Amino acid sequence: MSRVSAAVLAALLAAAPSPVPAAQGELPDLGPAVSVGRLPAGGISIVGPLGGSPVAAIELWYRAPATGFGAKPLASLSRLSAQAVAASKPLVGPALGALVASLGGRLSIDAFPDSIEISALVPASDASKVVRSMTTAFFAPVLTDDGFKAAQSDVAQEAVLEAFDPETLLRDAVFGALFSTGPQHYPPLGDPKALGAVSEDDVRAFATRAFRSQNAVLVVSGTVDARIVASAAAGRPADDAAREPETHAAHQLAAAPEPVQKAFDIAAGGYGWIGPPIADERDATALDFIADYLFRPDGGTVARALAESDPDAFVLGQFITLHDPGVLFVAFAGKRIDAVRAAVDRGLASVRHPLSPEAFAAARRAFEYNLLHELQTPAQLADNFGWYAVEGNPAYAPGAGGRGGAYFTAAQSLTPEFVASVAEKYLTAAPATINLKPQTKPEATK
Amino acid sequence: MKTLAALAAAALLLGAAPPPGASPPGFPQAVAGSAGAVRVLTESDAGAQLTGLELFVGAGLNRQTAATGGVAALAAECVLRTPVDGVPLRDAIVAGGGSLQYRVEVRSTQFYLEGLAEDAPALTRLLGRALAAPDFSPAAVAAARAQLGARAEDNENNALATGIEMFRRAYYQGAAGLPTFGTRASLANVAAADVAAFFKENYRRGAVSLSAVGQIVPQLAGAEADLVATLPEGAPAPLTPKVAAIPAEPPRIVARRDVGAPVVVVGFAAADPGSQDFGAMLVLEALLSTAFARPTTTSLGLRDRSFGASYSYDAEPANLIFYVNGNRTDPSLAIRALALVAGSLAKRPLAPALLDHYKSIAIGNFLSENVTLSDRAFVLGTFGAAGFGSDPINAALAALRKATPADVQRAAKRYLQHYIVALVLPRQASAGS
Repeated sequence: MSRVSAAVLAALLAAAPSPVPAAQGELPDLGPAVSVGRLPAGGISIVGPLGGSPVAAIELWYRAPATGFGAKPLASLSRLSAQAVAASKPLVGPALGALVASLGGRLSIDAFPDSIEISALVPASDASKVVRSMTTAFFAPVLTDDGFKAAQSDVAQEAVLEAFDPETLLRDAVFGALFSTGPQHYPPLGDPKALGAVSEDDVRAFATRAFRSQNAVLVVSGTVDARIVASAAAGRPADDAAREPETHAAHQLAAAPEPVQKAFDIAAGGYGWIGPPIADERDATALDFIADYLFRPDGGTVARALAESDPDAFVLGQFITLHDPGVLFVAFAGKRIDAVRAAVDRGLASVRHPLSPEAFAAARRAFEYNLLHELQTPAQLADNFGWYAVEGNPAYAPGAGGRGGAYFTAAQSLTPEFVASVAEKYLTAAPATINLKPQTKPEATK
Repeated sequence: MKTLAALAAAALLLGAAPPPGASPPGFPQAVAGSAGAVRVLTESDAGAQLTGLELFVGAGLNRQTAATGGVAALAAECVLRTPVDGVPLRDAIVAGGGSLQYRVEVRSTQFYLEGLAEDAPALTRLLGRALAAPDFSPAAVAAARAQLGARAEDNENNALATGIEMFRRAYYQGAAGLPTFGTRASLANVAAADVAAFFKENYRRGAVSLSAVGQIVPQLAGAEADLVATLPEGAPAPLTPKVAAIPAEPPRIVARRDVGAPVVVVGFAAADPGSQDFGAMLVLEALLSTAFARPTTTSLGLRDRSFGASYSYDAEPANLIFYVNGNRTDPSLAIRALALVAGSLAKRPLAPALLDHYKSIAIGNFLSENVTLSDRAFVLGTFGAAGFGSDPINAALAALRKATPADVQRAAKRYLQHYIVALVLPRQASAGS
């Protein structure tokens, strides 16, 4: 990608073309068990019924950059804004957070570089009122001073705790190194000290632009049926916001990511490679397969080898499916960090050669099981639909169409040779490399 | 695609909300059956694509001796490492499209097997083959010991886990109070022959039960029968659980560990599931979990909470712990407040509105904590063994819904007045701080 000026980039950030705008276009087909519809004021709804525990997962997903729409990034802006809206008491009834807590439910808000998720898990018998409350709060956001203050306190506490999480540090550093501009360059939950720079007006402006029905994907899963969507509030009409739905922001890739070294409590490392876009379904599925085959905690070849040689070691690998491009992220830690890194390197080198037919068949069987294992609860299924929808390819969500859907079809089409060729194609480039090293204490002087 | 207006009209006509007085939705109805002479509880979801099967074996911590701490976990770990067709069982199950885990509790060791529904019968038979001829060779036990040693160390460096272990050790007498994975020292003392002897004595058909959830294919019943047939008949001698009487003056136990902040665990005796106080105990757990906490908009994980409560109804006898994160709250003040609340709950019944509030939270907790197949298989077996009948999860939920103010007052009076305090301090802190 050629270099562009900051001004051009800012313009691109504001509006880049999107393959699946939420407010318009064809509705995706997610299989016979899943209902997809249009919300009254725009945006889409997805309802995936699931039996088992009588609970419902209710989620709202928005495409919006974590650091805001302006040229100057503001740390934690999307997270702070969503938290403030959920904490603000409307004129009638309790705030969303208070309602979910009173039902013994779980409310969480997760900010990603270019999207944000608000999710609740509640008893199915209360799903209707939570859909109503969540959409009322997030389709026509009301922000109170108390809600903003509560959000500042909650997000600051979370940011401090995240600063001690090596996985978060490594992931943020990998993305910061791979992307030289755009939302992916910045940590979605920034430096706790930078939170003070975000004003209530910043939050109000962000919430007004990002949190609109036209920009929303409402996902409901669990012991519910498609009629649950009727509980959603209409929200502001489309022309009220006078803006198009948020789109996939532009970014620039670093030409040659510089190795990053940071001080931390433990020795740890991370790698990141640029992968295919979400539209390249077969390549993306092959990288998911590779991550699963090597790093799956209970069965990945690298994870199993390390469990025996270095029981204290930690390793994680995942292909993060994004609009364009995706990222293969690997993180590892352990007392014998060089040995752990060597095991990771050996594993990554091994997948550039085709597996034997027997080993490949077993690995693909395990891969299919692992996918279904991670789609067994309402929250998992809703997350799956929401993520793939905001990244622009909902029909490719592993939960869509079950084992006959696009994702499983792509998985079935994989061959040992194709997987090896995908590894060769993406994993031979120089990765973003991150090292966390314990600080050595200076010797005491007498 | 229907229009939204049509959907809304349909909802009004058909009634999107349950009519007044209708029972709220429950878990899929379970049915009781048997495999050989072993009880099997099955909860079937037609829409699920996976099957979860939990084998409960009466080979828990309480079957160890003071000299063999960690042997229960070693036996389970060795089963997972037993070669089946030349491949360790755990890897054979992964290659067959499934996963296998174990959990060691006071009363039982549980093996949880999960797989694609069509593969579940074959995977169940693989587990049976390993149980029929487990590998307790010195090499296998040594590898298991190394694995468990790392897990034991992890627990020792976790302040909350350490505090809970300290309470358990003080409350449960005998081996039931020993650390789940033993310690590096205790594991070193357990020889391969000890593990084999433990398995031979406790892995018996008469001390086994099964629970199955998810999609249940007809062939699973035969595989379940084959699984239990691999274990010898009979049962280990019955045990009477023994616990220390908790005195009126709360005992305090202090330990120092490499942890960042102090943690206080306050441990209480608690009602066993199936007892008349069970539902009230769940309400008390919800009350203690939330009453002291600063309200936050989003739900906090364990790491982020200042206070919390956890009711271990699977232990024998059950217990309830209340914990305080000393990084954010003065532990002395928290314990004083806890004592005041416990006293007040015992003196007078909760107002009906407050009972409704905490019951609603307790129901939400109960449902959202039992969502995965693994969680459901576990509670199905646990409540099944506690006398909740053939549809035990729904029966347990019904007991919670029925709890009255008088029940909560009685349970508070019976269980919350005496407690043990376990205090975990950072190693660096000075003795006077």
